[in-house]
Formats: sequence, structure tokens, C-alpha cells
Amino acid sequence: MKTKRINFWAFFWVVLAFLYFFLPMYGTLDFSLRMKKGVLSLLAYQKVLADPQFLASFRYSAIMGVITVIFSILLFVPTVYWIHLKMRQLRPLVEIITILPFIIPVIVYVFGLIRTFSGPPFQLTLTPFKTDILMVAGYIVLAMPYMFRAIDVGMQTIDVRTLTEAAQSLGANWAQILFNVIFPNLRTAILSGALISFALVIGELILGDFLARPALGPYMVEVGRDMAYQPAALAIMSYALTWICLGLITLFSRSNNNQRQILGR
Amino acid sequence: MSYLELSNVKKSFGTTIAVDDFNLSIAQGEFVSFLGPSGCGKTTTLRMVAGFELPTSGQISLQDKNLTYLPPNKRNVGMVFQSYALFPNMTVADNIGYGLKVTGKPKKETNARIKEMLGLIHMEEQHNKFPSQLSGGQQQRVALARALAIRPQVLLLDEPLSALDAKIRLELRLEIRRIQQQLGITTIYVTHDQEEALSLSDRIVVMSKGKMEQVGTPAQIYTSPETEFVANFVGQINLLPVKVVSPTQGKVKVGEQILQAGKFGHLNGNPIRLAVRPEELNHGFIEGANNLSGKVEAISYLGSIVRIRLDVEGNPISMDVFNERKLTIPSVGDDYQVTFPVEACWII
Ligand SMILES: Nc1ncnc2c1ncn2[C@@H]1O[C@H](COP(=O)(O)OP(=O)(O)O)[C@@H](O)[C@H]1O
Ligand SMILES: [Mg+2]
Repeated sequence: MKTKRINFWAFFWVVLAFLYFFLPMYGTLDFSLRMKKGVLSLLAYQKVLADPQFLASFRYSAIMGVITVIFSILLFVPTVYWIHLKMRQLRPLVEIITILPFIIPVIVYVFGLIRTFSGPPFQLTLTPFKTDILMVAGYIVLAMPYMFRAIDVGMQTIDVRTLTEAAQSLGANWAQILFNVIFPNLRTAILSGALISFALVIGELILGDFLARPALGPYMVEVGRDMAYQPAALAIMSYALTWICLGLITLFSRSNNNQRQILGR
Repeated sequence: MSYLELSNVKKSFGTTIAVDDFNLSIAQGEFVSFLGPSGCGKTTTLRMVAGFELPTSGQISLQDKNLTYLPPNKRNVGMVFQSYALFPNMTVADNIGYGLKVTGKPKKETNARIKEMLGLIHMEEQHNKFPSQLSGGQQQRVALARALAIRPQVLLLDEPLSALDAKIRLELRLEIRRIQQQLGITTIYVTHDQEEALSLSDRIVVMSKGKMEQVGTPAQIYTSPETEFVANFVGQINLLPVKVVSPTQGKVKVGEQILQAGKFGHLNGNPIRLAVRPEELNHGFIEGANNLSGKVEAISYLGSIVRIRLDVEGNPISMDVFNERKLTIPSVGDDYQVTFPVEACWII
């Protein structure tokens, strides 16, 4: 009797949460399909995809996303590795620093960036290329909480210190240890950090807007101001992208586990 | 002939002194164990030999070459860890060959060595498996093969069997000794298990609180412990508080029962104790030997051995006897007479 009750309530809450998340999305989806009067159609999507400005801004943001991911990995894997290896006692402090982007509003952060780096001696907003450097640096900071946590969790699942020492005593140097031992055993962790960071950059609005670069976020806002159906289509598409990223993370981490389980006893 | 030499090695972490005044000279091919309770500095000493820790002072040299400040990847020292520390992303063969790969040995040589090592640990069939597919004992064998594959000058093992089941532990212990003898490799073995140390080693270094207590062969350590710590830590020991009766003859007494110490130094007024191992005691009375009478307090079966605990003048004394069928075991509360030879006891 008792388990039945628990099952009922568990079911109830799941359904409620499901409705809470998916009803609005369903509304948006439905709306995005009604550009043509009276029938459901993909017209809004066609319009969006046909807009050269959309393609350009999507391409720009995707490139920014990839660059951000690459530099984040190169920055955070060795950093977190070093913290785990030599400075365990600093970990709580670093953890607090990495969640600062959650605490400080992005807008405050962006103003700080511009004030600090647009003037001499940096003058990083002078040319589009220099501004892009500033953008990537900013994205790396915004992605830091996710990237750090993903890699940190990955490091906790392997005995970093002992593996390092084992490799060292076998004659490996630091580069060999990083690339043969640390990176391969962090594949899943790095990948999930990378995909979340990528999704974050794709959807980011404020940085692109204030640094006046042709990113996808500002474009979506602009479209939203002037049109009715396309923004809904865009929203659904960006949702889809995020879900694809999350799906990939699950897929990769699962296939990794499976490999272990199938191979393991 | 000294091969590996540790001179005046000291290591402190902040205010804790982990290792102090460590002097040891190890011959080529020798199997030396560091034995002591947890926290006594065994691992730290081993890690200084491996190069993972820098000594605060002192020197470590191998074949008269100063190793002290050489980084671990330049030492050619093999290390086996308690937690196996196999690379999870590599197969057994790749794990074993890793040390040769990173130092740029030719592929042919590497493959031949992998094969040789797989034969040494009897795991030829498992070469393509990943560590997660192996049992603990198999993983540790692979770790041993991986450490040996680089043909190290010294092999270091830090409690390699502690994470394994009792049965596998015994099996692997014999295997470690076999491989060590077969290769004639100089080995340092860290353990807190006296049985491991006694059964494996050519020589044992007993450590306590960062210091060496005694260095000697297993027989020396067991039969002639020089300090109370060693006597207590290695094997079981009875320590009977006694009063001196005759300092020159080494006669002492517990209550009114007179005993003769086998070995005694200067006996002065300080409180002293007579040490004797439980297995030296026998039931009965022998004229000219040491004899004690007491009351049986407890009896415990330890498998092949039965331990009888007596109360002698208010002091606990243990006696070990083989669990033979013909044995007549006393009952708790019985009066009981025990005897032991004079040579079997000494003053601590
Ligand atoms: N990295 C370290 N930092 C601080 N103290 C340490 C460190 N490593 C070991 N110690 C201390 O040194 C002493 C000896 O440790 P260890 O060599 O690991 O002992 P054992 O291996 O005999 O158990 C212990 O008191 C331990 O707490
Ligand atoms: Mg230890």
C-alpha cells in the first residue's frame, strides 16, 4: 500500500515538472509553425535559415564557441591537474573563484572588461580581431564554472597523483604524462565541459551585444524586436541545439561506461 | 659492497619530522624491507629514493652516483604502489610497454620486452585486456611487470599487497620473491606486516616515529630484538616487570619467584622487564630452567596455535602451543606451571 502511494506522488511530481518545462516550449513550437495562416508549416524556419545575417552570426558564434572550448581545455586541464597534484589545499579557494561568473552579473562583468581593456595600454576594442580576442577571453571566464567543474569531477574519478608518479617513475616527462595519461582518462569529462561551454557561447547575448560583434545572441534579440514568428523558430532551434549537446554528453559518457562494463567483469 | 646508499637522510614536513637520521647501505641484489607501524616514515623514505620527495638533508646515492636531486623520470627506479596505479586507458601490454615507449626504445625491443614480462608474471593470455577487466591480484602483477620492464636498477614496492585478500596476498608474496630472485634485482619493500617482512627479506629495517630502530636479518630481528619497540612490534612478546636480585649474575624476581635472565647488560636500580616469546614457554617444571607458576586466565584458539593466557603475580603472560590432538588444554582458573630456558629470555 505504502509503495503505491509513493509511486503515485512521484508520478504526480514528474508529470507536473514535465508540464512546467514543456508546456511553454510546446506553445512556442506551435506558434513557430503558424506563420502561414490556417496551416502548420515550417515557413518561419525557412525564413530564418534563408536570412544571410542568421547564417553569418551563427557561423561567427560557432567559431567563437570552438575557439573558446579549445582554449578553455588548454587552460583548465593543466590548471586543475596542477591543483589536484600539488595544491590540494587551494582547491576550495579556486572553486569559489570559478563560481564568480554566477555571482557577478554578466553586465557588470562586461562593463569591467570594456573599461579595463578598451583603453591604453591594451586597446583591445580597436579592431574587430582584437575585440574577438577579448570576446573569447570573456567567454572563457563565463564558461569557467562549467569547464572547471567538469574537469574537476573527472580528476576526482582517477587517482591523479599516483598515476602521475607511476608515469614519472617509468621515465615520462610532463607533456607525455598530460597527453598519454591525463587527457585520455578525462575524455568524457572534457567533452561534457566542452559541449556545455559551446552551448553557452552560442546562446550568449550580453558580451556580443556590448562589444558590438555579430554574434547569434544579439541577432536573436534584434529579430525578436522586429518580427513575430521567426524568434519563436529561433528559440526552438537554439533549444534543440542545447538538447543535442546534452544528448551527446549523455551518449558519450554512457558509451564510455558501457565500454567499461562490457569489457569489465 | 654498497650499491644503494642513504646517508643521514632527513625529511620534515613543516614541523613534523617524518624521517630522521636514516643511514642504510644496501647491497646489489639485496631484498630489504622497511617494517613499522603506519605513519613511521616508511613511505616517505621510499619516496625519497624514488625522487617524489626531496630530503630536507642528507644524501642518496646509487652506485656512487648522487641521486638526491635527480627528478624521478631520470632515475631508472621502478615503483609499485599499493593502489596498483595502472593506466586505465591502456591495455595490459601497453601498460607494461609504457616506460619503454616514453623513453623512445625501438618498437621491436619494446614488444619483445612486453612478451618477456608477460611470461614472467604468467599473464600472456591477458595482454589485450584493460585494467578494469582484471582482478586485484592480476592488476598488481601487471604493475610489477610494468615497473620491471624498464630494467630498473632498484625496485621499490610500497605495501603492494595491502589491498588484496589474504589468500591472494600469500600467493603474490611468493611470486614477488621468486621474480626478485630470478632477476636478482635490488629491492626495497615497504610493509607494516611483520610476516611479509620476515618471510621475504634478506634484511629488515624496523622503523618507529621516523627513526630506524633496528636493522638485521629476519632471524636477528626476531630472536634478538634490541629495543622494546622491536620486541613488541615483531612477533608476540611477554614483558614481565621484575626486580633485580643479583645484578652481577642477572638474577631477577617476580613476586617471590626467582628467574635467571639469559642476556642482561648493566643492571641498576631502574625498573626493568624480562622479555620472553610466548612460544618459548612450555607446561611443566624443569630443574635449572626458569619456572613460573600462575593461574589460567583465558584460552584462545588461533588455528594451528592455542594461546593460553596466565596471570603470574598479577602480570599477564602468554604461552603459545601447537594445536595438537594429544594436547591437554587446561581450564580457566586452573593453577598452571610453565617453564622456559634461560637463553630464551633477556632483559629489556
Ligand atoms: N606530504 C606530506 N605532508 C605532510 N606530512 C606528511 C606528508 N607525507 C607524510 N607526512 C607525515 O610524515 C609521517 C610519515 O608518513 P609516511 O612516510 O607516509 O608513513 P608510513 O608510510 O610509514 O605509514 C606521518 O606523520 C605523515 O603524516
Ligand atoms: Mg605508507
